[in-house]
This record gives sequence, structure tokens and C-alpha cells, in this order.
Amino acid sequence: MPAMLEVDQLSKRFGGLIAGDNICFSVQVGQIFGVIGPNGAGKTTLFNIIAGHLPPTAGRVLFEGRDITGHSSDRIGRSGIGRTFQAVHVFKNASVRENLRRAEVIALRHHPFAYLSRRKSARADQCEIAKAFGLADQMDSIAGALPYGLQKMLGVGMALMSSPKLLLMDEPVAGLNPSEKLAARDVIRRLRDDWGITILLVEHDMPLVMDLCDRILVVNHGKPIALGTPAEIRSNTEVIDAYLGEEYEFA
Amino acid sequence: MVLQIIVNGTLSGLTYVVMALGFTLIFGIMRIVNFAHGEFYMLGAMFVVFLFGQTGIAFFIAVPIAGVLTGVFGVLCERLLFRRLVGQELPGMIMALAVSIILQSLALLIYGPAEQTIPRPFSGTWNLFGAVVPWDRTLVAIGAIAILAAFYLFLRFSRLGLAMRAVAFDPETSGLMGVESGIIYATAFGIASLLAGLAGALMAPVYTITPSMGGVPMLTAFVVVILGGLGSIPGAALGGMLLGLCESALATTLDSTIALIVSFMVVLAVILVRPSGLMGRSA
Amino acid sequence: MRKIAIGLVIALLATVPWIIGGRYAFHVATMITIMIPLALSINLTLKLGQLSLAQPAFMGIGAYTGALLTMHLGFPPVISILAGAAFAAAIALATGPIFLRIKGVYFVLLTYAFGQIINLIFQHWTSLLGGNNGLFGIPKFSIAGLNLGTIPGGYYALGLVVALTSYLALRLFETSDAGTICDSLNEDEMLCRSIGADAHAWRVAAFTLSAFIAGAAGGVYAFYIGFISPDTFGFQASVDLIVMNVIGGPTSALGPVLGAIIVVPLLELLRDARQYQLLVYGISLIFFVIYFKQGLVSVIERPRKLSNAGHA
Repeated sequence: MPAMLEVDQLSKRFGGLIAGDNICFSVQVGQIFGVIGPNGAGKTTLFNIIAGHLPPTAGRVLFEGRDITGHSSDRIGRSGIGRTFQAVHVFKNASVRENLRRAEVIALRHHPFAYLSRRKSARADQCEIAKAFGLADQMDSIAGALPYGLQKMLGVGMALMSSPKLLLMDEPVAGLNPSEKLAARDVIRRLRDDWGITILLVEHDMPLVMDLCDRILVVNHGKPIALGTPAEIRSNTEVIDAYLGEEYEFA
Repeated sequence: MVLQIIVNGTLSGLTYVVMALGFTLIFGIMRIVNFAHGEFYMLGAMFVVFLFGQTGIAFFIAVPIAGVLTGVFGVLCERLLFRRLVGQELPGMIMALAVSIILQSLALLIYGPAEQTIPRPFSGTWNLFGAVVPWDRTLVAIGAIAILAAFYLFLRFSRLGLAMRAVAFDPETSGLMGVESGIIYATAFGIASLLAGLAGALMAPVYTITPSMGGVPMLTAFVVVILGGLGSIPGAALGGMLLGLCESALATTLDSTIALIVSFMVVLAVILVRPSGLMGRSA
Repeated sequence: MRKIAIGLVIALLATVPWIIGGRYAFHVATMITIMIPLALSINLTLKLGQLSLAQPAFMGIGAYTGALLTMHLGFPPVISILAGAAFAAAIALATGPIFLRIKGVYFVLLTYAFGQIINLIFQHWTSLLGGNNGLFGIPKFSIAGLNLGTIPGGYYALGLVVALTSYLALRLFETSDAGTICDSLNEDEMLCRSIGADAHAWRVAAFTLSAFIAGAAGGVYAFYIGFISPDTFGFQASVDLIVMNVIGGPTSALGPVLGAIIVVPLLELLRDARQYQLLVYGISLIFFVIYFKQGLVSVIERPRKLSNAGHA
């Protein structure tokens, strides 16, 4: 069975700056895969390439065996890959209900001539999503007024409207307080366990990544320096060196 | 022959640069496309009609006065109308449209639609290595060079000029460093209007003076600025000279309508391919 | 309830020309019905968060095409008008994908340049289009043997049909998924694209529709006046349309309709006193831009969220 996502010798140069150098990894169906690294390591660049915001200088990205390298972000959005944003992107002046409704409309009518009938089975129900993300009693609240953590949850919920098989999460717990982080961690697990969604996340928060992910890729200065299970990463000397000077506890 | 083309092109080019400078200045600093720029040009010409043609003040004195009056008017517009719209591109454009319309209507009310005539202060031509150079265009060119030199010195060496460049480059940081944006906007608008007014005043003896005379200079400024890059001053200078020379070279061969079509197609192409023009920063 | 009341008021207003009678009343009324689709056409581009100055050019394309199809090929006027509109739409469809990649000020300038090029072509192509002197002798509009010129208010009726259809089309657009998506795209395009919205396709579709409406209005205009020339389709027309949208209000389809109803009679009244017309225009624009951004329609309808067209 082909990997859900395969990144093959991906490189990105900005002039003389190497933001990504020969990165290779694959994400299997049902995995939670984490990409981690110090600031400026190139995680965001990698993420943006996979999400279709940047073309790579070299290398390929394959989704379910199909080459999606260089596809635009909306084409990727239609292929079954969803994404969440590091900074919250929701329709701030609309209610939660309206936000979810809009996301549904967008997912169904992605093109002026597209008219997918409301397939009950494939599409996530707005109510289910609301409940799953703790928004059930906030349906009429204005999105912009919600606490930051709930806004992020709404963002995840909206991403689910296009029924993605793979969800790309850009620093999902950035800006959250410790209890919100734990809640987020549980939500991400549930995305995989209950909804069957494969997850690729890029994060800063080492303990969370160690706790949550099945496999981890560590990058530094654009280069991959370690790839493996949390246990393998924990004992990897290169990784420890890379993080020396930054205060990380290997939880 | 070639020399004549170059001479003609340089003469026109200089005036284009003066026109384009003001236009690009306002956009660079306030992000407002000043559709009324042509009307400030017309205002300068109208002031000359009044001061020189009707009141009999010497041309060399009337021109700077006309320029200053236009500049003052520009500052008034900025203060009352445009300041609240800084950064809002669409409303700014519409407001500029409104000012343009009002100025035209006022000119129509005061002077009527017919052409205004003033006595010609100079006539005759002189000879530059075989190329024929009219005196009146020459003095316009000299005026333009003086204006451009003064402007350059101001921008480069005065505190206000430095502040303006800073605001054009990075308004937020400039604000944080104590540059008061209000003064900058007023100055920018004032100088831009001054430049347009001076151009109109200088050119008054050369071209026909009507309330709608601002249309073509506006168009020219627009083409120059797109070529050179919206917001870029060196771009305006480069674009202006380029346009002047190209026009001069093509004027002998192309029908005027076709020439205009070509200019607009060039504009189209520039916006599509490289919106920041030859020298501008990206929008 | 309010909507029905407004609908009734406008329906009543629409019958006024038949009550007053007389050529002048019908003329003004017909011009209003021609301007409504045009004002709506610009409004549609505003819904995309952009201002297009190319709409008069599309009107012209529809006008010349429609006129020529009947004059030279003998097409029935109805077909000609539709074909003209379709041709304008086709041009929008061809240029849209390229133009709509550009945003903001540059898009405005781009459409301005494009409009000027089209207008210059109208001026230059003397053999086919009559050049600066214009195209004369456009036949009267007749359908099923009925010559509209012979019926009092015949053209007005035609104009009403086109205006009403355009309004309904825009209204439908606004309130349907299309409107939701366009509003959402304006507000946060990255978010929409991440869910899979083909932003570009939606923009091109709206742009094409706007050109169709403008082209149709052009066709009606050609058959009504019987004569068309390049000046009608220039920048000045864009200014008129902008004024209508600013006064009427850009946030709802009803706004441009109101704007047209108010501005067109003014235009006609002051036709011989251009300086006063301009003065009124300029002052109203300033007033509305500063104090009344949402336009008159906000007095009638609860203002929908102002699209990002008004802000950088």
C-alpha cells in the first residue's frame, strides 16, 4: 500500500539560502507524523511547499502515489489534503455556525460549475464537528470573540469540511496555554482515531511532539538530521546537539 | 535627423518627468492614485492665464506664483479630504476623481469651455548642431531641469526630504521614530501639486488651455509612472525620459491613435508582467 | 416584508413614465433602464473586491457587435443583442484569467488601460465601426413583427426587461452560494483556498457575467438611440457608473439601481450645463465617500457587511 504522503528529495533554495536540502520521508495512512526543529530550521518552508504555497527547487511530493509537486494551494485543498494555520484564520465577524456553513459551501461549490450533492457519508456534519471541537454551545458566538484556543478549534473544524484524508497542521498549539495544549493534543488524537485522518504536523513544542507523534522528522538548517520514532529521536546525539543552547526538556 | 529626434524627445521627456514626479510621490507616500493630478496641472495654467494674461504680471514671476498657489490648494485638499483616506486605495481614488471633477467644473464656470489665450512670452528658434530648437520649449526644459534639481536636493539633503523618503519606505517604523505623518502627507501633496502646477504654468504658452486640458498630461503621467514603477522617484525620471524619446522616435512613423494604442498596450504588458515597473518596489 | 414593500414602490415608480407620457419622460426612463445593468456590472466587480474600469468598453463591444450583426447580417435584434452580450462575455472570459491575477490599484489601472485600448480601436476602425464619427443607421428594434419604435414606451419596456433580468441575476448571485463564496474570498482568500475554493475560477466567472450584462445594456442602447460612437464608451462613462454605485451604495444589488434612478435624471437634466453636472457629481462623491460610505441603500436595507472593496 503506498504511503499517504511521500516527500522525495525535496530541496528549496532562495538564492544562496538553502531552506530545504534533500528532505525525504513518508507518512503512512493513519499516522501522526511530526516535523520539528529549532527556529529557522526550514520547517515552515517545507510545510508551505507541501501545502502548495511554494514550489520546490528540486524533488517531489507524492500524495497517495500521485505527484502533486507544484500544485496550487487550492488544487491541493481539493485533492483531499486539508490544512490549518499557525495564526488563526476564521471569518472573524461571523458566528461559529456561519463559519462552518461557509466552509461547507466552499468545500461543495469549489468551482462555479461544481455542484456536488450533499453527500452525507463523505462529508462531516457541522453538528458533529461542533461537538467534537467543543463548540456546540458557541454556535451563535462571533468567531472573533472566542478564546484563542476555541478559534483554533474552529479552524480545524472548518478544514474538515472538505473531508480531507490528510491534514497538514502548522504549529497547532502555538499560542495556547498548557491546558489548551492538552486539549489540542487529545483532539489531534481523535482526528486520527475517530475520523481516520492522517496527520502531518509541524511544531515547535518538543514534549508535545514526543507525546503525540508516531514518527518524527527533525530538521536543522534545512537538512534532515533524524527520522524515527520518539524513542529513537530522544537518544539521538545530533538532535541533542542541535537543541543545545535552547532549553528543551525531552519529556 | 537623429539629433532632432533626441532633442525633441529630451524636451518632452523633461516635462513628462515633472508631471510624473508629483503623481508618483503621492502614491508612494499615501498610496493614493491622484486622478486629479491633471487638474492641478490645469490649475497652474489657469493661474498663469489670470496672473500673466489678465493681470499683466511678468511671465517669470507668474509661473512660480502659480505653482505656489497650486501647491497651497493641494495642501488644503490633503488636509480636508485626503488625510482620512491614507492607505485606502479605492476610496482615495474616488475622492481624487471627485476633486478632478470639481476642479473642471469650476474652471468651466469661471472661464467657460473655450480655449484661453495668453500672449506668447517667447518665440523663435535656435540651432543646435543642425537640430531646430524652439525657444519656448527650451525655456520650459530649463525650468524643468531647475525644478528637478531643486526637488532632488530637497529630497536628498533636507530633513523633511529624508523624513519623506523614510515614510515612503516604511511608514510604521517612521512613525515609531517620531516622524509625524501628517506633516509628511501635507508636504508630499503640496509638493506634488506644486510640481503639477509649475508644469502647467510653464507649458501654458506652449499648449492649448482649456478646462479639460488636464486629461492628456494625466495620461502621460500615468504611463510614465507605470513604466517606472508606482512610488519610485528615479523610476519616474527614467520612465519620463524613455517615454519622451520613444514618442519622439515614433511620432514620425505612427498614426497618433495607433501610437496611443501602443502606449496603452505597453502599460498593459508592464502591469501584467512586472507591476512594479522598471524601478518600483512591488505593490 | 420590507423587501416586498420596496419591490412595490419600484414597480410603481416604473409605471410613472406611462402615466406622465411624453417622449422626454420615456427617454429618461429608458436611459435609467440601460444604466442599471451597467451600474450593476461595476457592482459585481466591486463584489470581487476590485474596481473595473473596463465595463464601458464591454458595453461598447456589445453595442457595436449587436448593431453590426443586424445591419450587415440581418440578424433579428433580439439575437443580435444576445450575441453582442455573449461576445463581450467571451472577451472577458479570455482576458479575465490574465487580468484577475492582478489586484488592487494595479487592477484598476489595468482595466483602465484595457478600456482605453478598446475605445481607441472603436475610434480607429473607421471602415467597420465608423470611427470617431460613429455608427449610423442602426435599425429599429423589432420582435415578431412588432416595431418598438412605433409603440410609445416600447424601448422602455425592452429596457425594463433587461434591467429587471440583470437585477434579479445579481440578486441571485448575492444571496446564493456564489455570493457567500465571493464575500469569503474577499475576506480571507487563503482560508478559502485551503478548503479547496478555486478562487480564480470564481473571479473569472463573476467578471464574465459582469461583461455579459454590460454588453446587453450596450446592445439595447444601440438599438434605442440608433447611433453609437466611441465617446459613449470611454472613461466618462466609468465615472458615471462609479457615482451611481457610491451614491446608491455598493453593498447590495439594490444600491446601483437606486444610484441609477437618482443619477440618470440628473445627467439628462444637466446635459446642457455640464459644469453644474460636474459640480454636483464632485460634491456628492465627496460627501458620500466621507460621510455615507454605505450609500443610500443602507437606509432601506440593513447594511450587509461592507465588502473589502472599500479598504486597502
